Amino acid sequence: MATAVPAEHSLPPARKRSPRRGRGWLRRAALYAFLLAGCLVTLLPFVWMILGSFKTSQEIISIPPSFWPETPTLQNYRTILTDPKLPLLRFYFNSLFVSISVVTLVLFTSSLAGFIFAKYEFFGKNLIFGLILVTLMIPFQVLMIPSYLILVRLGLIDSLWGLVVPGATSAFGIFMMKQFIQGLPSELLDAARIDGAGEWGIYWRIILPQVGPALATLGILTFMGTWNSYLWPLIVITSPEKRTLPIVLTWFNSMHGTRYDLTMTASVLVVVPILIVYTIFQRWIVQGFTLSGLK
Amino acid sequence: MTGVRKPRPNRWQRAFSTQNRGRSLFVASALTPLMLYMLFWTLLPVAWAISLAFFDYSPARIGAPPLGFGGDNPFVGLANFQNMFGDLKEAQQFRTGLKNTLIFATLVLPLNLAITIPLAVAIEAIHVRVKTLFRFVYFLPTVTASVGVALIWGYLYHPQQGLINMVIRAVGGSGRIWLTDPRAGFLGVPLALWSIIGTYLWWDMGYNLIIFIAALQSIPREFREAAQVDGANTWQLFWNVTIPLLRPTLLFVCVLTMISAFQTFDIIQIMTAGGPQDQTRVMVLDIYLNAFRYQRMGWAGAVSLVLFAMILIVTFVQSRLLRTKWEY
Amino acid sequence: MNRKKFWILAAALTILTLLTAQCTPSPQAPVAQPAAQEAAPGEEQIELRMWTHQNSSFIAANEIIIERFEKEHPNVNITIESFPYDVFIQTLQTSMPAGTEADIIEMFGSWVCRYADRLAEVPDFVMTYSEAAELFFKAPLDGYYCDGKLYGLPNEFNIENGAVMINKALFEEAGLPYPPAWKNTQDLLANAQKLVKTDGDMMSVAGYHFISGDGLTFQLLAGILQRGGEYWKPDGSGLVFTTPEAKATLEDMKSWVTEYKVTDPFLFNRDSNWVGNSFFVNQAGIGFIGPWIVPEARRQFPEIEFDYVPLPNYAGEKHLFAADAGWGKVVSANSKHQEMAQEYVKFATANQENALTWNVATGTIPALKSVAADPKILEEAPWFEASLKVLDDGRYVGPLPDRDLFWNEIVYPHMLAVFQESETVDEALQAIETESNAMFKP
Repeated sequence: MATAVPAEHSLPPARKRSPRRGRGWLRRAALYAFLLAGCLVTLLPFVWMILGSFKTSQEIISIPPSFWPETPTLQNYRTILTDPKLPLLRFYFNSLFVSISVVTLVLFTSSLAGFIFAKYEFFGKNLIFGLILVTLMIPFQVLMIPSYLILVRLGLIDSLWGLVVPGATSAFGIFMMKQFIQGLPSELLDAARIDGAGEWGIYWRIILPQVGPALATLGILTFMGTWNSYLWPLIVITSPEKRTLPIVLTWFNSMHGTRYDLTMTASVLVVVPILIVYTIFQRWIVQGFTLSGLK
Repeated sequence: MTGVRKPRPNRWQRAFSTQNRGRSLFVASALTPLMLYMLFWTLLPVAWAISLAFFDYSPARIGAPPLGFGGDNPFVGLANFQNMFGDLKEAQQFRTGLKNTLIFATLVLPLNLAITIPLAVAIEAIHVRVKTLFRFVYFLPTVTASVGVALIWGYLYHPQQGLINMVIRAVGGSGRIWLTDPRAGFLGVPLALWSIIGTYLWWDMGYNLIIFIAALQSIPREFREAAQVDGANTWQLFWNVTIPLLRPTLLFVCVLTMISAFQTFDIIQIMTAGGPQDQTRVMVLDIYLNAFRYQRMGWAGAVSLVLFAMILIVTFVQSRLLRTKWEY
Repeated sequence: MNRKKFWILAAALTILTLLTAQCTPSPQAPVAQPAAQEAAPGEEQIELRMWTHQNSSFIAANEIIIERFEKEHPNVNITIESFPYDVFIQTLQTSMPAGTEADIIEMFGSWVCRYADRLAEVPDFVMTYSEAAELFFKAPLDGYYCDGKLYGLPNEFNIENGAVMINKALFEEAGLPYPPAWKNTQDLLANAQKLVKTDGDMMSVAGYHFISGDGLTFQLLAGILQRGGEYWKPDGSGLVFTTPEAKATLEDMKSWVTEYKVTDPFLFNRDSNWVGNSFFVNQAGIGFIGPWIVPEARRQFPEIEFDYVPLPNYAGEKHLFAADAGWGKVVSANSKHQEMAQEYVKFATANQENALTWNVATGTIPALKSVAADPKILEEAPWFEASLKVLDDGRYVGPLPDRDLFWNEIVYPHMLAVFQESETVDEALQAIETESNAMFKP
């Protein structure tokens, strides 16, 4: 099993020109056609969503339906952005608050635990780590009912902290950080100890700076997962002003069933920010999924 | 090196040396709270869920303190599990859920692989600059929130106003009722379930695609070139060299894909709510409805344990089947 | 090293900012709140929360009543929060054990007894059951009466029976008399057939969209009662649906689909083109749904012209029907201001003027007898006429252990299966009987 992960930006050795140039050309064209067709299928729903957000309510229900908006309008955006019952800024804050809190906690706990599992020996270490891996297999549905009951008793129902607290540790994160830290040379630590550094000092000053890329990746992955999370906030949050974005979208849809123009607009407002984040950070996101795959 | 060996300190001596005491303290003080915290949020709930399964529990009723068990939430022993084989409505829905979950996951896995592996191979085979672009596009659905995906596809599938029927009619076909027609089916599987599968594949393909691309990148070129020198054409190359070398990744992907498929909730709840006629009612939806709508948390707990067992079994079986010691 | 520090710092700052952002008052103003009035010296300022479901007419109606109440009680401030209907049920269930529910809840009457554990009884000095029985119709009131205790008071006589909506434009397009004068169900069906439109292979306009979700159960029960049957067991311990009257009702309804073809059960049902939406975009000529949809619809679709006309009896002389106990006000047992909350409940439901305002604004039939008899209500809401006529023929549906389950998971799916021809009438009725009796614990 490959343990060293090829950074996805390392260039493969320069391609040798195939001696049979003509045949290679045809094959390449077929590949591109195949990939482009796939792109079309992938992008079409997004296009449909965006087009729908610019259609009027009459157009949305017209039969037969049109693809392009005949009278494109910004009215839907205006309606949603100026609706006093939809404080979008507040909802963005909610989602942001929960996501950033979870990310900070997960990065801290995962790196610390990953460090300990990677570079220390102690009694029962393999057993405990195995237990952590087992928890990865517990489906959310088993945890969700008792977690809800626990939150009730902790008084965290209907609180944004209720969304943060259960997710403060991540078995996946610990696993990933352990893998990464294992690759760091132990001589670094020994050298630091000889210089008189304490264990915490080693963690803060030696390990953390070295695992920047892995932290960035784990951070982005966790951020996206928390931002898009639906079922848990659905259960925990009851006050309208504490909703996170996916829940806002669901409620909105319940209210405006057939008004696809409005629901598509709301979808755009919820989906597009993450797409922008993805575009900026795609390198790390992809790296993260890759790292998790090749263990 | 010959000569007298310095006597090695035994384990206890090592543990209690000053140096190691510092380390042990660190490990203990850092790890213990973390592990306790994790235990509290994962293993404790599992134990609680197991207990719940033996009660008839509703959150709206007040049971006996401290955990609400007993009182208005009576102990029912194995009744919840026994009823799974019985004729009650919820038992029928449970079995339907079980069946639908298995069908869904069993169909999703091969279809997903059939899409992502060829795509990965294709992307790997082209020029590196364009590669990033294609990968970017194919991964877009995966970062989209499930609610957004469900709403967009719900609209796409709309029988009168949706894009899919529009395209079908444009080429002369007749539109279908994708999500609410219980009569329609293909190969014995309801159309509504196929529609959900379609949406799910679109949403999820990016994940496996990325993993396969990275895996392909790490296969040393020598293998491929050796095969080509031996006269293998593209097809043989694919089947006899690439796929076997992907086996370790394949194991990981298969297990993960099936587990994710077992737990698909968001898009199903929003697009069909389990309908029509429970044809898309999967176990996770069943659990959710019973726990948070119909006040049957004990029953829901029991069903969730069955789901857990299923996941463990599937993971175990797949690990056995696909285990390999290939290294390169 | 710098980069790492930067990110940690950025995260910390962001969290700090957001934490403080949480403390600042939210920019939303869902309630047109009058400036909080000064409490009279010596009185404490009381804050009450109220929950209702998301229907803009309901929210608006409640806001009016709240304003009146706050004027009479300057030391009280009530805030409304609203939820989509399906989320509302789940929210009640998840919030009550945690104690985060509101003080006053606008709850659907037929649910009340399931939550009785967590609700506060209406104290005798506010109103006793016998007093209430004089003032309110029995059908809505009985939903709030559980095990000999009264847990709230109704605002709405929930009625879907007795009348249907008709679409003026579609009727005139089809050359039908408007308003129609149906003498029996056949006349209605004849009209409905002419209203059907198809677009290629699919029905684009339903003639009589009666597969409305909740409506199916109402129609079944009404059909049974009007044919002289009964659906409760004599000792009240369970339900019976394998009666000749039930069979006759369901077979009749089935013929509307399979023989008269006035609607398509695959395209027009609760989950697809629900009547509450599709009627108002001209996708149904006749729609079966209660008058409570009217104010909301008028708001969202102001151009549609429609009316409520009496529905002919299925059989017999009187338009007998069974009704849910409709929306009303209950007080949570966790509320810290029980007295004031109960005051509000009485103010909102038993006060003639308030109840009338509320009913007109929400488009619901009054639960208060005096309001139903008040000529003013027909002035403000003339479309109530058809429904008001049959009020005396109605009765409370009965103490179902789980109304939601019965309506949504038992009756609706089986009836729909009959219309979609995947179950026979006998199979469906037998299943409905078995499954609903499983709700009753021994």
